[in-house]
Amino acid sequence: MSPEVPGDPTLRGERRRAARGTSDLDGPSVVPDEVLARQAGLGDRKAFTQLVARHGPSLYRYTFRLLRHHADAEDCVQDVVLSAWQGLPDFRGDSSVRTWLFVLARHEAQKHLRRNRPFFPASGSRPVLDLDEVTQELRDLHTDTAVDAVEAALLTALDAVLLLLPERQRSVWILREFEGLSYAEIATVVGITPAAVQGLLHRARTAVATTMHEWR
Amino acid sequence: MSNRDTADGDADQNETAANSTPARLRDAVARATQLLRQHTDAGWSAIEDNILSQAMNAFRPSSPVRGRHSLGDFFLTSDIVVARLRHVIDDVPGAAAQRITCSTDTDDELDAVTIELIAAYGAPLVNLAARVHAVARDCLVDLLGVLAPTAEQIHTHVHIDDVSNDPRIVI
Repeated sequence: MSPEVPGDPTLRGERRRAARGTSDLDGPSVVPDEVLARQAGLGDRKAFTQLVARHGPSLYRYTFRLLRHHADAEDCVQDVVLSAWQGLPDFRGDSSVRTWLFVLARHEAQKHLRRNRPFFPASGSRPVLDLDEVTQELRDLHTDTAVDAVEAALLTALDAVLLLLPERQRSVWILREFEGLSYAEIATVVGITPAAVQGLLHRARTAVATTMHEWR
Repeated sequence: MSNRDTADGDADQNETAANSTPARLRDAVARATQLLRQHTDAGWSAIEDNILSQAMNAFRPSSPVRGRHSLGDFFLTSDIVVARLRHVIDDVPGAAAQRITCSTDTDDELDAVTIELIAAYGAPLVNLAARVHAVARDCLVDLLGVLAPTAEQIHTHVHIDDVSNDPRIVI
């Protein structure tokens, strides 16, 4: 092979950094997700620890808002991290590492829901909730955050509104608004088309705005 | 939000422009979203260490590889062999291991190792492959003792998967 073999120009620059889960803003010293995933796949525990530290908070935030109970979210994220550790040797990079982790998270969350709450409604319908109970739980959730009372109330309201969304709308909204995934990445996580993502997101945004208005 | 592409961003902006939600309410939702995005759930902080240790103690599918020293035979998992090989290969300037697979014979003796590499842009690939081959064989001798295959016996296929000029990937 010649030493002058060029890299694929289509993989250079911004697209390539985006594919690795980093951007210019991350700085030159941040090891890209794909590098950590490769090293972890080959048995590097430090690389795996870094990867989990980087994405664990997002995975927990997502699964908690799908499952609503801390214990369930803990179990679910535990299973996600375990699946990731065992699956990384076979990870081929067809999607970004971050997208792959969210796919695992949604899959595990749905398994938990089916196992622990067999009467939980399917994706297209609204969950049955005791609003007073939910509100109290959410108030408790936000009492320890470093925000003032007004902001804590706002967080409580938004969390409550999210719980009222059907699961797919909630997933799409969280993955877009909290995690900043592209429509194509969300489509991969939820298992629908990007056009369907756009439709669900529109409905979710409308529902969030309407319900927040009523809440006020 | 680094992963948002332009088309998605445009779609979001168009939707916002067409949205009849009052500005104050939009701002409140945006503020709450931002707060939740910045907030790390206490639940995660409490469980992070435990989750990591449980995952890394979990079984990863792996086959036994026979080694031999003066006291007799012993077995390593192929996971250990792969991890050690990755470590020494990543130390070779201009090379990073992309994928390493081991195959064993019916006596669990290692008979082939396949190493897929990422090479630094501009690195002399033939020399790089030879260097990787050499450090891989030294590593196997160190791990497996006299049962480590000799350079002639072992088939170390060096396959260049990718070429990179990013120092975070290949040093």
